[in-house]
Amino acid sequence: MLRDELRQILEKGLRDVEADWTVPAAIINDPEMHDAERERVFGRSWVFLAHESEIPERGDYVVRYISEDQFIVCRDEDGEVRGHLNSCRHRGMQVCRAEMGNASHFRCPYHGWTYNNKGSLVGVPAGREAYGNKLDKSLWQLKPVPKLGTYKGLVFGCLDPDAPSLDDYLGDMKFYLDIVLDRSDAGLQVVGAPQRWVVDANWKLGADNFIGDAYHTMMTHRSMVELGLAPPDPKFALYGEHVHTEHGHGLGIIGPPPGIPLPEFLGMPENIVEQLQRRLSPEQVEVFRPVAFIHGTVFPNLSIGNFLMSKDHVSPPTSFLTLRLWHPIGPDKMEIMSFFLVEKEAPDWYKEESYQAYVRTFGISGAFEQDDAENWRSITRVLGAQYAKKMELNYQMGRGVYEPDPDWPGPGKAFPMDYAEANQRNFMEYWMQLMVTDPASHTGNGKVSDEAAAEALARAEA
Amino acid sequence: MTTATEITDATVREVTEWLFGEAELLDTGKYREWLDLVAEDLSYVVPLRVTREREADTDIVEGMTLMDDDWDSMEMRVLRLETEYAWAEDPPSRSRHFVTNIRVAAGEAEDELAVKSNLLLYRTRGDVATFDILSGERHDVLRRVAGGYRLAKRVVVLDQTTVMTHNLALIM
Repeated sequence: MLRDELRQILEKGLRDVEADWTVPAAIINDPEMHDAERERVFGRSWVFLAHESEIPERGDYVVRYISEDQFIVCRDEDGEVRGHLNSCRHRGMQVCRAEMGNASHFRCPYHGWTYNNKGSLVGVPAGREAYGNKLDKSLWQLKPVPKLGTYKGLVFGCLDPDAPSLDDYLGDMKFYLDIVLDRSDAGLQVVGAPQRWVVDANWKLGADNFIGDAYHTMMTHRSMVELGLAPPDPKFALYGEHVHTEHGHGLGIIGPPPGIPLPEFLGMPENIVEQLQRRLSPEQVEVFRPVAFIHGTVFPNLSIGNFLMSKDHVSPPTSFLTLRLWHPIGPDKMEIMSFFLVEKEAPDWYKEESYQAYVRTFGISGAFEQDDAENWRSITRVLGAQYAKKMELNYQMGRGVYEPDPDWPGPGKAFPMDYAEANQRNFMEYWMQLMVTDPASHTGNGKVSDEAAAEALARAEA
Repeated sequence: MTTATEITDATVREVTEWLFGEAELLDTGKYREWLDLVAEDLSYVVPLRVTREREADTDIVEGMTLMDDDWDSMEMRVLRLETEYAWAEDPPSRSRHFVTNIRVAAGEAEDELAVKSNLLLYRTRGDVATFDILSGERHDVLRRVAGGYRLAKRVVVLDQTTVMTHNLALIM
């Protein structure tokens, strides 16, 4: 249960975000908020695990996290994507200790219990002698992630067996995800593996930044503005749309400022442009045609950056696509996993340029990203203190300035410029709603989750 | 001209002093001067490593890196630091490059040396009483030019998969 003080902060926060357009600073860096968030937010939401292109062959696996639980995300011998808790049913040891690889079986290094990549327990050393044939192996498979779903190559898991389907959860956001994920016939490829690094910052700051913050570009990234790598027009985000949907998702879509010629469709190669015009709906094509920057967040912690950017100060811009996971590992610490993706059918020159533009501007060494991490660290440290926590943070941009855009061809609630904080409020409001909603029943870690897990396995095997 | 058969004590001493001098420039923020030590065909790569089983051929990922720069992008980084708005390093980190285990061998070209060294990079920022440490092995190609050497290639293999500093804003 939530402590009364926490509940009061959150309930006031819910009223304030609606009435005053403010958010309580206490939600950023607080150990109790973090504890509650693990169960109430990450225990209920669909969390991104992997992209299907990371595990193309039977037996391929990667190890990924939902909150602190780690899962082996693999393609089993029948080609089906699975998620198994990486924990032996005997003593809980990790059965897989590599980050990625290919394996038909996972053998526990402690006592040798062995599971196939469907999760079934298939080997128990000295089973007959030690257990007298009384061990029913079918009851001791690796715990499956309660819900597993895939959308356009993105594999998500959810710890709540009663959560809505992934399809319903993504809802109207799918219209926009398609624009990023479904532009080509053969789809996207994660190149290599994600970069991983630790930042002493709360994960929500990354999610909040990507979901709607075009405003920070002019100041945070001013060094890059001065070098000509970011738009020099302080009003560049005026020429964009700011959209959010149910379940806390949102994005910003920015075109070129008037008079600045930029290529259509993020300057993607001709063969991809040809394919996307065939694959996407006319409305999606209309939305995507003028775009130079897409930034967004799928609640809670998956963000998207699809940007037209130069790899240095003397080269023309190339677009790149990055997904990033803001993985919480404490109230004041996250691991960032940053993925670079490119259309499998893109020409080699584009793949190379796109990779270079990505790795030099975003990611751990990126000349843009560096300054973001600096801000988020600093904010997290300051907001962990008792007096600072009592502040309200100002989320009032656009208040009384503009109304929702009636002419926007896409779904969701859209505003006609990207200097806005409607997406951020929507995200924080949904987060606070989850936080104040008590779990349906509190039976601890016993029967309920066991049955649900067995049910999920039965469904998966059916 | 150094050739494959002539890695003399004098060469090792020259290379060692070059590396120590380079470290001093980096730790005192003299990036423009550091850039003068870099060849125009620079390749500067920090590979991405993952945890793999011992039987895997390598733990270095193909196709993705933590950093992949050439001279132009390095100049961009230096120009960026010269603006008043490179917040990641302004105020600057306090850094110390500890360079050890220097091994000098002949390079692929006649005027080049293949130099390996171990790097321990210590970093603190602000008044936070913690520090970051990066450890790795550098594989350099140093090219002999009139009056010294130029860095033509550097690969920094870090001893981490999940990197425990918040950005790679420092040149390693």
